[in-house]
This record gives sequence, C-alpha cells and structure tokens, in this order.
Amino acid sequence: MSSAGLSFAPVAAPTGVPLQLAMQRLWLTGRVLSAGARLTVMHVFRSGENKPLEVVYSFPLPRDAALRSFRITGDGFEAHSELKPTEEAVKAYEQGIAAGSLSTLARQYGDGLINLTVGNIRPGETVTVYLDLLAGVEAHDGGFRFRFPFTLAPAYHSRMKAARVAAGEGEMELPANEFGDLILPRFREDAGSLHEVGFDLSVLHQLPVAEIGSPSHSIRVQQDGIAPVHVFLAPEKDVPNRDLVLDLAFKEAVPEVLAGEVDGKRTFAAIVPSTAFGKATEAPRRTVIVVDRSGSMQGEPIAQARKATEACLAVLADNDSFGLVAFDDRVESMSDSLLPGSRETREKARAFLAQVDARGGTELAKGFLEAARMLGGEGGDVLILTDGQVFGSEQILGQARAAHIRLFCLGIGSASQDRFLSLLARETGGVSRFVTARERVDLAAVDLFASMGRPVASGLKSTADVSPEPAAAVFAGTPVVLFGQAETDWIELTWDSGRLSLPVPSGDSDTGHTVRLLQGSRLITDFESRYASEEALAPIEKRKQSRIAARLAELSRTYGLASREMSLVAVVKRAGDRPGELPETRVVPVGMPQDTRFGAYFGAPQSGASAYMATAIMASALAAPSPMAAMPAASPRRAGSILARARFTLFGGESSRPTAPPPPSVEDELMELAAQLESDGGVPGHNASDRAARSVAAVLAFVEAGNTVSTGTFRSHVSRLVAFLKSMEGLSRDQQSAVERAIEAASTGRAPGHDWLALARPDRVKWSRIEARLNTTA
Amino acid sequence: MDDYLTLADLAQASGLPARTIRFYIARGLLDGPAKAGRGAAYTAEHLHRLERIKALQAEGRMLADIAHTLDDGSAHASTAEPTAWWQHVVADDVVVWVRADTSPWRTKQVRSAIDEFAGRLQTNGGNDQ
Repeated sequence: MSSAGLSFAPVAAPTGVPLQLAMQRLWLTGRVLSAGARLTVMHVFRSGENKPLEVVYSFPLPRDAALRSFRITGDGFEAHSELKPTEEAVKAYEQGIAAGSLSTLARQYGDGLINLTVGNIRPGETVTVYLDLLAGVEAHDGGFRFRFPFTLAPAYHSRMKAARVAAGEGEMELPANEFGDLILPRFREDAGSLHEVGFDLSVLHQLPVAEIGSPSHSIRVQQDGIAPVHVFLAPEKDVPNRDLVLDLAFKEAVPEVLAGEVDGKRTFAAIVPSTAFGKATEAPRRTVIVVDRSGSMQGEPIAQARKATEACLAVLADNDSFGLVAFDDRVESMSDSLLPGSRETREKARAFLAQVDARGGTELAKGFLEAARMLGGEGGDVLILTDGQVFGSEQILGQARAAHIRLFCLGIGSASQDRFLSLLARETGGVSRFVTARERVDLAAVDLFASMGRPVASGLKSTADVSPEPAAAVFAGTPVVLFGQAETDWIELTWDSGRLSLPVPSGDSDTGHTVRLLQGSRLITDFESRYASEEALAPIEKRKQSRIAARLAELSRTYGLASREMSLVAVVKRAGDRPGELPETRVVPVGMPQDTRFGAYFGAPQSGASAYMATAIMASALAAPSPMAAMPAASPRRAGSILARARFTLFGGESSRPTAPPPPSVEDELMELAAQLESDGGVPGHNASDRAARSVAAVLAFVEAGNTVSTGTFRSHVSRLVAFLKSMEGLSRDQQSAVERAIEAASTGRAPGHDWLALARPDRVKWSRIEARLNTTA
Repeated sequence: MDDYLTLADLAQASGLPARTIRFYIARGLLDGPAKAGRGAAYTAEHLHRLERIKALQAEGRMLADIAHTLDDGSAHASTAEPTAWWQHVVADDVVVWVRADTSPWRTKQVRSAIDEFAGRLQTNGGNDQ
C-alpha cells in the first residue's frame, strides 16, 4: 500500500517553509464492488506544537454510507473504537480528555456530516486514525460510478452565516438549534497548502471489465485479468479540493448477484439492469425542468445546466407538455402552467433560459414545489439540475416526500452532495446522477431525461426477504439494486408485465458480511433522512419517544454501524497522561471545491479585520499572473497545483495563456443536431423533401455513434426521428428505400457506411449524396 | 458555593458542550481556565462571557466578529478601520445602510428585502393619504 511510508512534509508554496498542519495526510483504501464499497480512510494527525492538541476534522459521508469502526495507532499503542449511544460516547470522550488521555470521537450530525475529533495529541506526537466505513455507488446499467469526498463543500442554509475571515479563507456557521455543536472547517481558496490526499483501491468484480476511468483524478490501473483490479492515484499525492470519481463499465449489462452466508442465512445483493425488464412505452410525457441558478452555480455549472436544459427540450414532442422553472431564493417560471412541446414554446423556453444567470441562495424546495404546483397533482416527473449545495437537507427531503412528485436529480459539481441528491431522487421514486462540471453534463441530462416519464417496469416485488423495499418503478439506464436474505438458491422478481428468476450463488462469507454491512448502511441512510434535526437534537428523554431514533439505534446495534444515535469512541490511557491539561483545539481546514467560486459564499471580512483584508486582497491581486486573470472566470486551476500538473500529464499540455476554443467534438455536433429537432421529430429544412433527407442522415449519424431507438444517450431523439420518417409521404421509390434503411438501422444499431454526421449538416445534405453513400456500402 | 467551576460544570451551566468551550478558548473568544493543570478551574466571569457570546450569536453575529466585539482593545481599534457601506434612500425620511462587501447572494437578498420595504412604505404612505 502506498500509504506505508509516511514521508509527508507539506510546505508553504511561496516560501518553502514547512507548515504545521494538525492533519497531514488522508489516504483512502478499500474494496469497491457493484453494490457498494468497504473503505478505510487513514488520517494522520500530528502536533507540531509545544502543547497537546485537540483536532477536529469535518467531512461529509458519501452516498448510502455509515461509519463502522476506527483504529487509532501511535508510538507503542493501538486501540479500537467502541460503538456507544451518542450521549455516552461524548461523555466517555470528555472524561478521557479531562483525564489527559488520548481520546477520539467520531460523531454524525445532520446532512451526513461527521466530526472526527482527536484530543490530547501530545506535543511532537503523530497519531493515525484508520476509519472504516461503508458507502454506496451510483449504479448504471452495465457499470457504476464511485464517489468519495476529499473535501466538504460549503452550502446554503437560510440561516447560515458566512464571511471571509482572512485572505482566501472563509468561515461558515450554522444555527446551533438545528446542527448542535457541529464544527465546520474553514474553507480555503487555495487547497495547495492543505493536507495531502490520495487513494489506493481494489475493484472486486464478477463480470468482465471493459473500462475504468476517472473524470476527477489522474489514475493508474493494474489489471492482470484476474480480479481485483487495482486503482490508485497516479501522482504521489493530491490536494483536497474535489471528490474522487471512479467510473467502471462492464463488457455487458447482465444481472449480478453477490452473496455469502452470514449467521446461517444467505445474504445477497442483486443488481439487475433495467434492460432485463423490457422497454419503455412511448406515452406522452408531463415534465418540469427545474434549474438551480444559485450563486454557487456561477461559472461553468450554470453554463452546463443551461446547455443541458436546451438539449432536453429538443426531445419534446407536440403531445408532450413541459414547464421550466429557475430558482435561487426566488422562483421564476416560464409559464403559469404546463405548455405543449411545440416549436414556439421551445423557442420561448430557450429565450427564458438565456436570461438565467447565477445569483442568490439555494432554496431548492421552492423550486420543486413550484414544479409540483405546475403539475397540479395529475402526475408527472421533475428534472432538477443543481449542485445540491444545501444544508438542512432532511427538511427538504420531508417537503419532497409530501409533494408527491417524482424527482430526477442531475447533480453538477466537483464536491459531493451526492448523498443528498441520491436520497432526494430515491425517496420520491426517481433517479439521480452526479457529474463533475468538467464532464458532458448535457449528455448526462439528455440520457436521464430520456428515461423520465416512461418506466420500463412498475409494481416490482421479490420473493426473497428484501430490505429496503424495492423502488416502485424502474427506469431505463438504472438497475434495480436489492439487498436481502434468500431461503433458496433462487430469487424471483415479479412486476406488472413480467417475471425474472435469478440464481443466488453460495458465495463466501466475506462477501456475505460486506453485503450485509452495505444493507445496514443503506437502511441507516434512509432513516437518517427522515430524522428531522430538531428531533435529533432533542434531550434523550424526548428522543426515547421518537420512532426514528429507536429504529436508528436498533439498526446501529444490529449492523454494528454508527448513526446519529450511536457514535464511535476510543480512549487510550497512557503513562504520563496529564489530567486537567487543556488541549488546544485546531479545526482542519478544507479546500474550496474546484468549480465553486470562493466569492459565491464568502464576501465580507468581519469588522476589525478590514485593514488586514485590504492589504491581503491587494497582495493577491498583484500576485495573480496576468494570463490567469484573462482566463474564463470559471477556471479555478492554478499553475502550481498538483491538479494542474496532473492535467498537464493527462492531456499532454495545457497552456496558461488563453487559446482558441477547441474544434467541436462528435458529441458536440450530435448535441447540436439533437437540439434542432422540430416538435414533429424531424430535422429542419427548406422543404419536406429536404427535411426527410436530413432526418435520414441524422438517424444514421446517431446510430453510427452507438444509439438506437432504445439504447444510447440519444435514444429519444432517434425514436422521434424514426416516427417522423414513418409519417413521410410523397417520396420517390429511391428516397423511400433510403428512409426504410435508416429506420432499420435505428432498430438494429448497424449503420451502413460512415461519416453520416457530415451529411446531416444543412449545407451538405442532398438525396443524391445519401443514396450514393447507401449504395456504395450496400 | 465554590467560586470555581470545572469545565464540565461550565458546560452544564452554560448549556454549551465542553468541546465548544475549548473551541472558543482556542479562538480567543474566552480566556483559558483561571487555574491550569489538574483541577483546572473556571469562574463566573467565564460563564458570563459565554452568555454574552450566545446572545451575540443569537443576533446573527459570527464568532470572528464576536471575538473583536468582546475584545475591548480590538473593539477600540476596529472603530478606526474603514468599511464600505451602501446607502439606500428608501423614502424621503428613511435611509438603510448595508455593508458593501457581502457575498453576492446576500447582497441580492438584502436588496430584495429593501425593495419590499420601500414598496411597503410607499403603499402605507398612499393609504394614509
């Protein structure tokens, strides 16, 4: 493991002087499976001072995650955590601190935030905490995305207080009556001077792997054909300013069942791709797109959200109806009620979008409640494009459940609010995806939008003892993930229009235990989301009456996992402990997320610091290299950062000077083509014949890029083009033949010939060219 | 009654967790214990100070701001520091001052509230006539 040699020595970049960081290193290790991950996070703490330290490190849990245990080691000692009711854990920690003993507490708060507190680290001492946790993955048909937060994103709360307290450093405080004694870190604009981070993971897989990649980090992959695949950070270390995002694609999308015996029962996790259930119907859709225009979306995220929304609008047909809502701390709708997906209304929507700039706070509930009002209780789906940067998510989740709408969430950002958005979608029966602002957000949006409103299966049930309950509806592209115990070698799934039997292998006990822990962390996450903060912070006598508190405590005991009701604590008594000595508290700062602007949250310095700030701002303005100042404001990369170097290696060069925009990629051109679709499904043209010719070329261009009427990101577009072509009349025999071959290609996925995208351009398209290309390749 | 309090006593009396109190001490919001080491002790002055911190927090002040306010020396010095403020004349007889360097969405929020306030003043004025 690359974490074995602790040769860390962070230095201040401008001076080279070693920094006295209370936390010096954070390294992620563990195993990632299709059903979730079993992780160990190593935190290296050091007191470089002449007094004992109490260090507080705050971090957000990944999706469907729970803490299991920790081990703390140092010179001549090792201790393991105990899982205790939170009040008892806090008391044990405080008694340990008062006795002068090394004490560690891992406590969970609302929004899945954790405070890991290590007190009485002696002067000059290094201690290491290995924290074990379980986490979920974002499952896709034929693969998954794993996300782990290396930083904590600042987020909006209507009663938060935020200010810049030093040059490039911001502080945020949350109301104590909702968040208790949670301590948030300082947010540092330049993460380069913070602790180093990295990862070293094993991917355990049953199915053959086609591809592993990361849009967030430069990775190295070791694969010898036999599981597991080894994935680790390519550079020696990195900075804490974004999530680790790992994508894994299998060679095929087929059901996978992970299982093993636990206490005499066969425990399993089944991942069943949506393709196993059948195809979606082509019924008209009622949808509302809700765009987050809050201040934290400034720059690339809002630009991406606009582009993604435009691409989704292109899928709409005349018989679809839609609405468009933009929100920050105010809500604006394009119209009072749903509109038909006609060409005129879609043009109106584009004009509405063009004036949507980032500003204000993130009152997410206001956005989807407006969408619910527009849908008027008659059913329909809502797509939310947001960075999800909100605190107090449990309250929002409560409002979403009560609104009786299905939410599909497309998260955009480099620091994870994945836990919240996955809950928001799941708890309302929808689906969520979380992409970085540097990925093709429009492609992800079109893909998600294509699955909305048209489930491939409803009324799903299982013969096995499954918990939590399966989702009510299954959508194209997203598999069903089930956790449970099987009495026999088979589990049977039934739904409204079909059934499926899956064999449950006997597996091994290690897999069984992992699957059981993942089931526990998923159940705990679900219940945590229903635990209102006021209720969670009530005195214990009152909490004893809470059904959720009782259930959380029971789940924690059953699965041996922490929750807000149960925390992890360890006290190490050592010779030389000095009772009563007050440790100095240090809060570990974190880096601002890569694509979130510092100024979006942190404006004013507090009074009394103004003169210092004025100097600091002036200094930083002078220090900023002029080419950077000329770069698009969305670019947060700095030439000296590890990330910048990593990108240099990855992409073979990155100029610090502004350069001409790159030529459009195939995806860009396909997206542009998709956005042109008229409400009857055809591509525009001078006349009917011209439109038919371009539409044939467009279908073949989409098929050539891997899309059909039922698969691929542009499946909805292909489907609508085919419907248009089928409606064409008055074509010549040769033209009709070309149309039929395009329709056939849209079904089989095999496009005759190549470079159809070029022929789909308005200035190029001609029936003679299309027929010639079809004939040469017939 | 004993004049000295332990940290646990101080936590109990103030309603603030011991960890929060240590955090305040480290941030310079509160003095360390009157007696250090075994039997570290706090006084009524510590409790009084914690009550003031809580009251200022309830007013919407941040800890960094409170530290300056509570520290007499800094408070004195800070009066000399220039800060930029916007002056909004919302009616002939009403002026609202707003810090000029808050975060963008806070600025928007405040301006929106001022618009509403100004509107209400105009409406009320109309009703009176």
